[in-house]
Amino acid sequence: MRLLIVEDEPALRETLAQQFRTAGFAVDLAADGVEGEFSGNELPVDIAVVDLGLPGKSGLDAIRAWRKSGRSFPVLILTARDSWQEKVGGLDAGADDYVTKPFRFEEVLARVQALLRRSGGWSQPLLKSGVVELDTRSQEVRVAGTSVELTAFEYRLLEYLMLRAGQVVSKAELTEKLYEQDFERDSNTIEVFVGRLRRKLDPDGDRQPIETLRGRGYRIARD
Amino acid sequence: MTLALLLLAGAGAAAWFLDSLYRDLGLRARHDVLEAQVIALISSAAIDGEGRLIPENLAEPRLTAPGSGLYAEIVSSRGSWRSPSALGSGLNLAAAPATGERRFEYAKLADGTRVLGLSLSIRWELEDGSSRDFIIRTAESLEPWYREVARVRAWLLSGSIILGLLLLAGLAVALRIALKPLHRLETEIADVEAGRRDLLGSGWPRELSGVTGNLNALLAGERKRLERYRTTLGNLAHSLKTPLAALRGLIESGQADPQSQARQLDRMQEIVQHQLKRAVFSGASTTMTDLPVQESLEQLRGALAKVYSEKSPRTTIAVAKGTAYPIDAGDFLELAGNLMDNACKYCSSEVAVRAMPWTSADWRRPGLLLDVEDDGRGIPPVERSRVLERGVRADESVAGQGIGLSVAREIAAAHSGTLEIGESRLGGARISVRLPGR
Repeated sequence: MRLLIVEDEPALRETLAQQFRTAGFAVDLAADGVEGEFSGNELPVDIAVVDLGLPGKSGLDAIRAWRKSGRSFPVLILTARDSWQEKVGGLDAGADDYVTKPFRFEEVLARVQALLRRSGGWSQPLLKSGVVELDTRSQEVRVAGTSVELTAFEYRLLEYLMLRAGQVVSKAELTEKLYEQDFERDSNTIEVFVGRLRRKLDPDGDRQPIETLRGRGYRIARD
Repeated sequence: MTLALLLLAGAGAAAWFLDSLYRDLGLRARHDVLEAQVIALISSAAIDGEGRLIPENLAEPRLTAPGSGLYAEIVSSRGSWRSPSALGSGLNLAAAPATGERRFEYAKLADGTRVLGLSLSIRWELEDGSSRDFIIRTAESLEPWYREVARVRAWLLSGSIILGLLLLAGLAVALRIALKPLHRLETEIADVEAGRRDLLGSGWPRELSGVTGNLNALLAGERKRLERYRTTLGNLAHSLKTPLAALRGLIESGQADPQSQARQLDRMQEIVQHQLKRAVFSGASTTMTDLPVQESLEQLRGALAKVYSEKSPRTTIAVAKGTAYPIDAGDFLELAGNLMDNACKYCSSEVAVRAMPWTSADWRRPGLLLDVEDDGRGIPPVERSRVLERGVRADESVAGQGIGLSVAREIAAAHSGTLEIGESRLGGARISVRLPGR
């Protein structure tokens, strides 16, 4: 999942980036509203975390600009002022949820995951496809009730596919969303990871949870 | 001062007007006397042997007494006649009007007496059929009349001076009475400034009661706000002491492990958040413009629909047409936002919001009634007062959630309103807020 953080306070920005990376996100950073607006418009972000009190262009303006140019990724706002006027203003401008400063990271992460699930059409924190279960809160994966150990990258890959269950996800999209930098990556890397993930989820090769659509990408079935 | 000058000028003008009116009337009376005399002379006159025109009997006794002040003469080419009263008077009228015309003139007698004279020129038919021109003159001394005029003038002058002085005195007294409440207001405002009194007193005249009422509302609002700031500051400082002391203790005793430090930091964070939440609202003010209630409620519904999109409670808003109330938009959003947030949080699937005006005989403008209901489990009567007091006292444990109701109640109170917890027809809680009108 590719996450954009728009926050002017460097300490907070770096801490958040660090914590989201640990949680398995590809993180893009912006230090003000102008940069934020640009990144949100130009990068393939899945979700943005935006501080409302930014120097120059405000967070509200950036969100409005994204919505105006048709960008519909979910937006979580961070606000220092815990007033309904501020919250209503942010949600009206096109944000989807808010967290009041100061906050615990777990709170922010939970909101971000909930927003991602919602935008993928899931209403529960537990994502299911056939016998495969992925718990977004504990980051646990079970197949037919048995826990499966995945590396961080494998988990991110599976989570992305499950959040978009029922949709075809191209290798290019996966490369874009799972890596922060835009440099060219060999799409074979993705093939290798998908291969490993398949072996872990389906050692016997009789369930085929991840479908390959030749020349188009991968798909996990939606229950 | 200006008023006093105007008043004096008015009295002077009135006196001058009366004076000239009196003179005018007097002069006309003098003219009438002279004309009457001329007519009397003509009617009794006849041509004598020398061809003069002579009055045959003088009905007017003043014409026969010398120096009586009434004189007459008839002049013609054949000689003239003078009344006995004119003998030795030095009467010397010069006007010689054309035949059939009259002319008044002022003249002086030998002794300086001022007279008004009338000369009338007539053509008399003689027995032989010819005619002759005569000038009939009468004159009357103006001295008695002048004395009268002088007397009246003196009387008018003294009268107008007395009247002017009386008016001035009356004006001074009236002003003193009229300005007394203003002096009192000045003193009381100075007292309020100096802290000798909290509010302005009562019993103001009708013209001032609006101003003093508004001033008192302003003072009370500011006082409330000040008290709230003081309480908030006091609570904040006071409640931060405990975690600070704990943190210091941890560090000094060398047990400063990150977890226990983080616990104290969390506590401090909660305290700051909590106190800030209570400090944001502005309270009642006399200068607020009407807030369209429906619009704010719709905004909140939109915002909460996003926050509670997974639960997606059905929220109905019913606002009586034209409901508006003079309240700061931030305060109203905070008040309704806390209540609607709670309702969305605790409902099972339904939230109902109602707003309508609320009137009382004493108010020129209506109050506002706001009801927020949900179909959750409700709040049992025994817990209601506790829920409202939550977080009110600084040393009480601050729960992360549930201070919404007590904040809402404080906002209502800052607007002199009330908040009540009841049961909803939907099965859950009904929170009713009543904000008074003015």
